[in-house]
Amino acid sequence: MSENKVLFLPDDVKVKIPVGQTILQAASKAGIVLRGACGGGGACGRCRVQLKKGRLSFAGTGKLPPEESEKGWILACQAVPKGEVTVFAPESSRLSEHRVLLEGRQAGVLAATAEGVAEPAPLFRRQVVKLVAPTLADNTDDYGRLVWALEHEYGIRNVRISRQVLAELPGTLRESDWHVAVELAVVDDCLEIQGVRPAAGQVSVFGLAVDIGTTTVAVELVDLDTGEVAGTAGAYNRQAAYGDDVIARIINAVEMPGGRVKLQEAVRETINGLVTELLETRSLDRTQVRAVVCAGNTTMVHLFLGLDPTYIRLEPYVPSVNMPPPVKAAELGLEVNPEAWVYCLPGVASYVGGDITGGVRVTGMAGEKALTLFLDIGTNGEMVLGNREWLMACACSAGPAFEGSGIACGMRAIPGAIEAIRVVDGGFEVLYNTIDNRKPTGICGSGFIDLLSSLFEAGVIDRSGRFVPGLETPRVRGGEEGREFVVAWAGETGHGADITVTQADLQNLLRAKAAVFAGVRTLLASLGLEIGAVERVFIAGGFGRFINARDAITIGMLPDVPLQRYKYVGNSALKAAGLGLLSQKVWEEIKEIARRITNVELSVGNKFMEEFVSALFLPHTDIKLFPSTQKGT
Amino acid sequence: MAVTIAKERWSSKCLEVALGSGPKQIKVGGETTLPFLHFEGETPNAPVVALEIFDAQPQEWPDFLSSVYEGVLGDPAAWAKKCVEYGADLVALHLSRTHPDQGDASPEDAAAVAADVAAAIDVPLIVLGCGVDEKDAAVLPEVANALAGKNCLLGCASQENYKSIVAGCIAGGHAVIASSPLDINLAKQLNILITEMNLETDRIIIDPSIGGLGYGLEYAYSIIERMRTGALMGDKMLAMPVVLLVGQEAWKTKEAKTPDTPDWGEQRKRAILWEVATATSLIHAGGHIAVVRHPESLKHIKEHIAKMMKPQAY
Repeated sequence: MSENKVLFLPDDVKVKIPVGQTILQAASKAGIVLRGACGGGGACGRCRVQLKKGRLSFAGTGKLPPEESEKGWILACQAVPKGEVTVFAPESSRLSEHRVLLEGRQAGVLAATAEGVAEPAPLFRRQVVKLVAPTLADNTDDYGRLVWALEHEYGIRNVRISRQVLAELPGTLRESDWHVAVELAVVDDCLEIQGVRPAAGQVSVFGLAVDIGTTTVAVELVDLDTGEVAGTAGAYNRQAAYGDDVIARIINAVEMPGGRVKLQEAVRETINGLVTELLETRSLDRTQVRAVVCAGNTTMVHLFLGLDPTYIRLEPYVPSVNMPPPVKAAELGLEVNPEAWVYCLPGVASYVGGDITGGVRVTGMAGEKALTLFLDIGTNGEMVLGNREWLMACACSAGPAFEGSGIACGMRAIPGAIEAIRVVDGGFEVLYNTIDNRKPTGICGSGFIDLLSSLFEAGVIDRSGRFVPGLETPRVRGGEEGREFVVAWAGETGHGADITVTQADLQNLLRAKAAVFAGVRTLLASLGLEIGAVERVFIAGGFGRFINARDAITIGMLPDVPLQRYKYVGNSALKAAGLGLLSQKVWEEIKEIARRITNVELSVGNKFMEEFVSALFLPHTDIKLFPSTQKGT
Repeated sequence: MAVTIAKERWSSKCLEVALGSGPKQIKVGGETTLPFLHFEGETPNAPVVALEIFDAQPQEWPDFLSSVYEGVLGDPAAWAKKCVEYGADLVALHLSRTHPDQGDASPEDAAAVAADVAAAIDVPLIVLGCGVDEKDAAVLPEVANALAGKNCLLGCASQENYKSIVAGCIAGGHAVIASSPLDINLAKQLNILITEMNLETDRIIIDPSIGGLGYGLEYAYSIIERMRTGALMGDKMLAMPVVLLVGQEAWKTKEAKTPDTPDWGEQRKRAILWEVATATSLIHAGGHIAVVRHPESLKHIKEHIAKMMKPQAY
């Protein structure tokens, strides 16, 4: 399929789109949400952009004054690129300013930090060796000959082999004329020879990177020979039936008869479902999947491995293990090659798990001088502050709201999710954009951040997140669960029902954002630092394709530092698992990071609770902490 | 040996609020230091004490309390006059009959009672709702309207119902009591919400919620103390004067309700002391208006305040 390329200024983001798609669609793909009240029909004239370079064809002229078209202004919804074009998208045409795009693992901000993959050495790899056939004069044993060849050709030492593989070795070596591919898996400090096969006629091998989130699970299928991502899939964690947060899961695992087995089964089946989907659509066999790297919080890893999570929940909050050993896939019931090793990223403490350690590696902060804050906002909000000198971490419970759970109209960031929202003054009109421009079926995390911010700015809710009484808009109405706000009317939506948020939903979101900010403040305070000291902020989490940093500051969720200090890294846990899978060096670095991070326990003292209540306000009880939100008010 | 008195240099001060009108108008707040530290800063207005009255005949009051108001308990206006005779700086009218379970009196009824009381006295009037958010939201604006221009203090407004109460206070020219549940951040949040409705900051009095002696007094003490230091350090949203609703807390304690016993002694003395100890402790924390029930409590508290207002010898 041929493609066109569109470069957006001033963002400097380039995207590829299939021939025939419009600039508006390209903008959406680039995470730049243009205004489009008419839905791309050319009628509203709001999606104006300026052509800087390249040629276009037009589906229609749309509503644009002639003097503007002479200056190169076009309506993005009507313009189809021919080849490569450059356009300028002004602030006035955007639904919301400044967002950071996430597009796969190659997202610009991370390209520089993924250097570990420059010398790919996956946790499972194949090395082809040509052995010298034995003679009467050179009568070294077969295994010794193989070990020598590995060391001689690849510098590989410290190998081990099982009896089964050894039993077939002499035959294989001779049948393949001493030219073989050796299958090697990293296990602790040595390489395990998992098989020896004729060098000719090898099938491709794959690895899995798995992010086991409390709310969602994401799986990436990686080609271990090329390092390319063959596919990704995501789903809600089936453990959701046993509670929304890790505490509820632990209670169920411990107190429900057979609980631990049931929860392990639930997450295993979630992963197996995704793996089967990925393999079937590509006509691959499960035996081709030879290594699995999982990133998850400490509780998720415990439940996945079937370990006892009891003491994670009880003071002094000690997990069974922070650095779990690799386990064979067969033992865990994963539907991949039964001999494949399953590795879990090492964690730091009960509430700072391997997903965070991995995230720190992805940002590169552990090797740099700048004081960096890394925030992973999921069901738990975990954060790490530090640089190459030191790293401190803490965790707070944010609830699943920003992952699209725990709220009636919440959904994951999948097609049809409202990802950007603007509410017009007084709440009479709502503009929104959905992922893939489908009819909306719910709201994802980035949409909720926008919603809270714009409901406040439009005067629909007050600083305490409560609906302002006496509004005349029909969008605020009494519902079954108290007052609610209609984001999208039934006629506009993909499922034919109104999309609404209730007073309780808003309080839920307020609590989630308050927990995140209170965690940041408490962590900074434990080191005697102010917000301004933070030179860079990396945001990770399942909000959606991007996060609107400006709105997140407006609601007081993220610290008020200049927007250019923010970078969105999306699902950093999944990325870390992928990097670790492809590079033994990265894997070792992640382990080192886990050893370096110091955990701060927020439940000690009452600082966190006080910060939390203080943050239960838009943007914050102490307005001085958010100077940029006061402009123009 | 000469002692150097350490003095703190505060950058700001408490807000001063005027209540009532005419010669008996009172002012509270305005301090530039912690309570009664005359050597360090100014205390332009002494703390004041209000006596509390009800729009319904009180039930279960001990004799030694109801007897001091004999003959006026069924007549709020006469009761208020009696309070002024006893020396109350202000009168606090409790609209208990508006409570849905205690008569559910209409806003108009309540407003008429409040107007009668206001007409009968020349000291400033505090009007307190029944404590049910929705009901107070309906009653207090009506009261505010009936008392327009009298510069009364109306409450309590909470995060749930402040909008209509504050709107009423703005329209009627009154001050409002902003009430929050023993949390400095929640108190501050409500003050911000109220000022964002364009009520001046010197029209707000904070009710931090208090506990009686032995019933959580120390929580209230530390919250009030932090409000005062916050105010002195420049936090405008914590600089409002503080009202102490002592009567309702003190008289429900076991110590105030238990009759004479050999171990605990005379109930009358005990109950009054409980009210006095609660009020004076919290005045020392930084409270400005104490609302109490017994005239003898009033007398003791005022004596104590008078002593504390004397300049220090150093």
